[in-house]
Amino acid sequence: MRQSKRKSRTMLSYHIMISAGMLWLIFFNIVPMFGIVMAFQDFNPGLGFLHSKFVGLGNFEYLFSMSDSRRVIANTFIIAVSKLILNVVVPLTFALLLNEVGNLKFKKAVQTVVYLPHFLSWVILASVLLQIFSLKGSINGLLSVFGIEGKIWFSEDVYFRNLVIGSDVWKEFGFNAVIYLAALTGISPELYEAAAIDGCGKLKSIWHITLPGIAGTVVLLSVLGLGNVLNAGFDQVFNLYSPLVYSTGDILDTWVFRMGLVDVQFSLATTAGLFKSVISFILVVTSYLVAYKVADYKVF
Amino acid sequence: MAKKTISIIMAMLMMAGLLAGCQAEPVDSKSPDNESVVGYNVAVNSEDLPFQKFDEVVEVHIGQSVSATDTLPQGKSVDNNQYTDYLLENYNIKVICDWTAASGNDYEQKVALCIASNTLPDGMAVTRQYMLKAAKSDQLYDIKDLFSQYASPQIKSVMDSTNGRAYEDVTFNDKQVAIPAVEVETGGVQVLNVRQDWLDEYNLKAPETLEDIEKIAQVFLEKKPAGDETIAIAGPDKNGKPYSDFLDAGTTTCGFDLAFSANDAYPGFWLTDESGEVTYGSLSQSTRDTVELMANWYKKGYIDLEMGTRDSTIELINSGAVGMYFGAWWMSGYGTGDAYRNNPDANWQSYPIYTSDKKWNVKMGSTTTGYTIMNKNASEDQVKAMIIMSNALLRDESTFDVSEQPLVFWPIRNLMAPADECEYTYNELIKVLNGETKPEDYAKELSAYKLLADDTSVVKETVPGYEKGKQLTVQDFSMENFGNFQRMYSLLIGDRPYSTTPVEKKVYSAVYSQTETMESKWSNLKSMEEEVMMKIITGKSDISEFDSFVQKWKAEGGDDITKEVKEIM
Repeated sequence: MRQSKRKSRTMLSYHIMISAGMLWLIFFNIVPMFGIVMAFQDFNPGLGFLHSKFVGLGNFEYLFSMSDSRRVIANTFIIAVSKLILNVVVPLTFALLLNEVGNLKFKKAVQTVVYLPHFLSWVILASVLLQIFSLKGSINGLLSVFGIEGKIWFSEDVYFRNLVIGSDVWKEFGFNAVIYLAALTGISPELYEAAAIDGCGKLKSIWHITLPGIAGTVVLLSVLGLGNVLNAGFDQVFNLYSPLVYSTGDILDTWVFRMGLVDVQFSLATTAGLFKSVISFILVVTSYLVAYKVADYKVF
Repeated sequence: MAKKTISIIMAMLMMAGLLAGCQAEPVDSKSPDNESVVGYNVAVNSEDLPFQKFDEVVEVHIGQSVSATDTLPQGKSVDNNQYTDYLLENYNIKVICDWTAASGNDYEQKVALCIASNTLPDGMAVTRQYMLKAAKSDQLYDIKDLFSQYASPQIKSVMDSTNGRAYEDVTFNDKQVAIPAVEVETGGVQVLNVRQDWLDEYNLKAPETLEDIEKIAQVFLEKKPAGDETIAIAGPDKNGKPYSDFLDAGTTTCGFDLAFSANDAYPGFWLTDESGEVTYGSLSQSTRDTVELMANWYKKGYIDLEMGTRDSTIELINSGAVGMYFGAWWMSGYGTGDAYRNNPDANWQSYPIYTSDKKWNVKMGSTTTGYTIMNKNASEDQVKAMIIMSNALLRDESTFDVSEQPLVFWPIRNLMAPADECEYTYNELIKVLNGETKPEDYAKELSAYKLLADDTSVVKETVPGYEKGKQLTVQDFSMENFGNFQRMYSLLIGDRPYSTTPVEKKVYSAVYSQTETMESKWSNLKSMEEEVMMKIITGKSDISEFDSFVQKWKAEGGDDITKEVKEIM
């Protein structure tokens, strides 16, 4: 009796402490959910949610009838999926390579240098990149040695998507590798010793020991990344793109921004946002289910 | 046990703090005690209304855009500076700044959010499309009656100088929903600015037609007067556009409006022909031809190859690398001051460009370019206060010392200039320089030409090298007082074309606002247009794309919109 009373007292203080976070969640994430009603209305801010005219699925119909929207969805998908895959493969490879480096000082130095870009915001990094890839930038200077004609790389729709993906991977791979490096330290050195005695080379021990050892982490991270499939990176694209590359670079988020805040079409922007959220929600739920099945990772 | 109790208390305190934090949110606080204020004194003469002092303090909540480069002295802030002091002292108007945002995109986003969430401050200055949205959502105060009572005669004469256009622009369903910022007419007119010193060096005549520009560009590109960095013709930067349009009709900086109108093309405008037929200017054959010409210039390297992606064309011009660019009258003076700081001999001169049969066609901007909107729920006194604020600005603008506290900090600054202010000033300045009139002649005049007295009093010392009949050069100016230099340069060089050259045809857009279908479909069409035009000019698409653009534009709502525009007419 006394025991259980004590326990509920303890729980109470925890609950009070967590309530601050819960309130934040309710006010900033749950309450605004009512705003999605705008997607089904011809929203008039003067009248508010309650009195604006309902148009059913009219906004969705219009959204999908626009030639823009298919293009935007395709761009979003291509950019996001490529980032998702490369942001696993590149850091993983890098972590494996770095793990084999014997010189500890060198290893630490490299690790520090490669994760520095992670801490720069896209606003700054974008202007640096635009400069480097501009007509008089260093990339063109380098290429002119090989007789390749200079271009303004970020305004060529053929290259824009690849540059966006590439620069994102470059910015994040050092930081992402940290998790894999941590997972690598979890593998018992005894296994490697045993393998060495059995005559395993470097490659073989990576294949048979290292990879199986961190497979769980890899699967988990990539599966959790699924929920972000429609987040192609607003900050990055917004700071790099121009009308010249709308055809390959315009993504859902930048498009919603232009619709909603620049052209004040609140309903249409909400519709596109809602569409994105629904797809993301389905993917998040699936990814958690898969994570549980494959990696035995449970969030709730 | 005691520990537990303490932790619970602590947690509760944390919670309380959090809730208190929530409560401190700026719930729009129109304190009731100044709701009921005034109701003006019967004894007040009705002529004093435009400058009346309230009996009690009236608080006005505003949203203010602040420039990233202008600063206030230490201890001053957006709601505590010489302008707010002046308003409080003379009119009992207390300005409270609810929020500030960096001018440009940030400010516009904030405005859009205020409209979306229906949390407009009592007053703020916005661009056309946001005023339209707020007016359509019925969020704005109908200031019609108060404006007619409280606007000063000066303001009214400015409004009247537009032949009713200024009132038209802010009237919706018979309500006046804003005080418009009335722009000088020349603000929408583009001129060609060219480095006269470069022309002289190669014995070239000042350009008159597009062919002349092409020839000059060719020479500039060959001779490279600014070294390898030389750019013959600057283009719009990444925030710029190749031409102005009916919704954003102040002329472009380094766009090509003038080149288009020299081919009798007016992209971005709704045009009406003699038979009353309405067309969209971007689709015309002459627009196509000019776009093709631009693409040709770009291909030959005459136009900046980095147009459309450059961070700032103005910086490029200031650096001295550019030979020619198109811009408004103020670009050569106000717009590119650093160009003269970097090179005091950069002799920029402004010229009109004529059609092949030597006519000057002018694409005209809209009469009003900004709008002071007021929340529907503001009190009558607050609205009066804001009208009085714009009266006061127009009357007393020239009396403030702006060296430390620039005029951009005037709360919800609303430009008011008679349509012909620049041209009128130009002519009077020339008279003063010629000795036909004296600066003192203008001293007492209280007219809508608010800066004329000031301008005439400094013109002689700013342009010591003036000689009658000789074209002014940059060497004729004194840069001692740089502000005066910039103003005089803009007026006497930049506005010289519009002040002295007869205009063959002034082209206005049939509408400067959105029709019903535009509200949903225009942004799609607009981004399609922007993309196609930029791609053709920069050679990323063939000119044949123009034709498929026209088809697509019509099919995706353009035809419906054209019908609507015609119905309005």
